[in-house]
Amino acid sequence: MLQTPDDLETARDHVRLPGDRDMWIFVLGDLAFFAVYFIIFMVYRHNEPTLFLTSQRHLNLTTGAINTLVLLASSRFVAVAVQAARRGDHRSAARTLSYGAVCGTVFIAIKAFEWSAEIHRGFTLPRNDFFMFYYMLTGVHLFHVLLGLGILGFAVHELRQESPRAWIVEAAATYWHMVDVVWIVLFTLVYVMR
Amino acid sequence: MSERATRRINRVWIVASGLTVVSWALAKTRSSGSATTSATEALAVLAFGAIKARLVIQEFMEVRTAPPWLRRLTDAWLAVLWMTVLTLYLS
Repeated sequence: MLQTPDDLETARDHVRLPGDRDMWIFVLGDLAFFAVYFIIFMVYRHNEPTLFLTSQRHLNLTTGAINTLVLLASSRFVAVAVQAARRGDHRSAARTLSYGAVCGTVFIAIKAFEWSAEIHRGFTLPRNDFFMFYYMLTGVHLFHVLLGLGILGFAVHELRQESPRAWIVEAAATYWHMVDVVWIVLFTLVYVMR
Repeated sequence: MSERATRRINRVWIVASGLTVVSWALAKTRSSGSATTSATEALAVLAFGAIKARLVIQEFMEVRTAPPWLRRLTDAWLAVLWMTVLTLYLS
């Protein structure tokens, strides 16, 4: 992103930790675990390049890409909701946060469709190492999406209280964006990179 | 302030979505015929993935304006992960 002098001044003037320190520690720990999973995936790919390359062609690249767009849209809604919560527009923040959660639900529905199609075609978890990683990585990620939806729901509930705490919305956003970052890496390594 | 922040969020969203579509199109052209690798395309999609991940971290997660320890930790995470992936891919 290009930074204007105004942006740089804003950045210098408002250095602060968004949300909650404990949530950041949790998120950084989660990111470290996912990095280890991705590196192990790459080690296996390095050892069995032909198997990984041929198996990868059986994934539905388009549903993977659509799910990436869905999660990016949800992250956009959640980021906009944080802005609304900060300016005290709690009704708008709750509504926009809900749109983000709806996108998360769409992601799960698309993932369920994708998994059922793969299983129907015989590409199950024990088929080979590639599909073992495919189901394990997307499964662990899906668990994080479900947890993220619960956290977003909690933030929406907070926004409906008499005096909602903006940091709870920020902390929920931190977690939700982490789920998006992990999916971006997963989509790149498992679906796209040939 | 809030309007400017929202415009910035929208720009990030459009750029990240655009890079996703380009990555999809690059991989789609290679999904027919024999299963082959392409280092150039792989490097391109890895770069797009890294840019998207950093955009979400810096802009949506607001690490851009966070304390230096968090900026350094998240950049270190991205650098270590992406360099390891690249080394394993190219070796």
